[in-house]
Amino acid sequence: MSPEIAPLALHEQFANPEQQRETASLGMWIFIVSEMMLFGGLFVAYTVYRMYYPQAFTEGSADMDIVLGSVNTAVLICSSFTMALAVHSAQMGSRKLVNIFLLATMAIGCVFLVIKFTEYYKHYLDHKAPGVWFDSAAANPGKVELFFVFYFIMTMLHALHMFVGLGLLTFTLLRNLAGKITAEYYNTIEVTGLYWHFIDIIWVFLYAIFYIPGLHP
Amino acid sequence: MTPTVSRKSYALTWLGLLGLTLLTTLLGFIDMGPFNMMAAVGIAAVKAALIAGIFMHALFEGKLVRVVIAAGVMWFLIFVIWTAGDYITRGWLPFPGK
Repeated sequence: MSPEIAPLALHEQFANPEQQRETASLGMWIFIVSEMMLFGGLFVAYTVYRMYYPQAFTEGSADMDIVLGSVNTAVLICSSFTMALAVHSAQMGSRKLVNIFLLATMAIGCVFLVIKFTEYYKHYLDHKAPGVWFDSAAANPGKVELFFVFYFIMTMLHALHMFVGLGLLTFTLLRNLAGKITAEYYNTIEVTGLYWHFIDIIWVFLYAIFYIPGLHP
Repeated sequence: MTPTVSRKSYALTWLGLLGLTLLTTLLGFIDMGPFNMMAAVGIAAVKAALIAGIFMHALFEGKLVRVVIAAGVMWFLIFVIWTAGDYITRGWLPFPGK
């Protein structure tokens, strides 16, 4: 290890490297729990309106593209896998593999966003974007529109988190290129990974509540 | 530094997650009434536990981090269950607005 990297391995306020690592993870987990509450409010609001308008929410869900939704779920799971491998490579001390896996994670994350915005464009063309152009053949178009309000707000908040995640990955990549991520000190990539996996968890639930209910006749 | 989780475990988790996604989609095509939603959300919860436990190393963290995670999940469940309990039981009593 080169002397200019050595001080990074243990900052002076920590007793040992394990305490330093746990402090970083704890901070990120507390942030993730606060994010759970942010998305939680939306999930609870969705649940309440779904209990009130089960028919309209199922009709709304039937307008979803299950192929794009399922492919996107698989895409995001793959990006979580490469992220986990990036953290693993950092723990093994392989800078080159960390670069490769971080770039792969970013590329797969971009594929997700491209598919997501393709879907938004399709909804727009189908007059499913809430607003004056919204149109539905259902008995209660207003209630179906409410389903799409939830869909757009929740998936767009998720997409916003993806953009933040891509920013964090870029930052982590630059840190790694500068040699600031080592087997002794890899907190940066560990907490970036936590955030990225959390976005994946949110999508897993969004997929279950928006795409699945409209599948069966 | 010894890695927290082996590559093989990560790969198995990844395959498990893809399998559960396929299962969610296939179950969606079968009409099970109210159990469709329960199955979809239930499988999503299992997937979330796999991601948090293995990918996010929650299983290998110390007590402090695990308490924070458990507290977050519990507060969220209180949020969902009490709200749902309120809305489900409305109209059960023969008084308007109760």
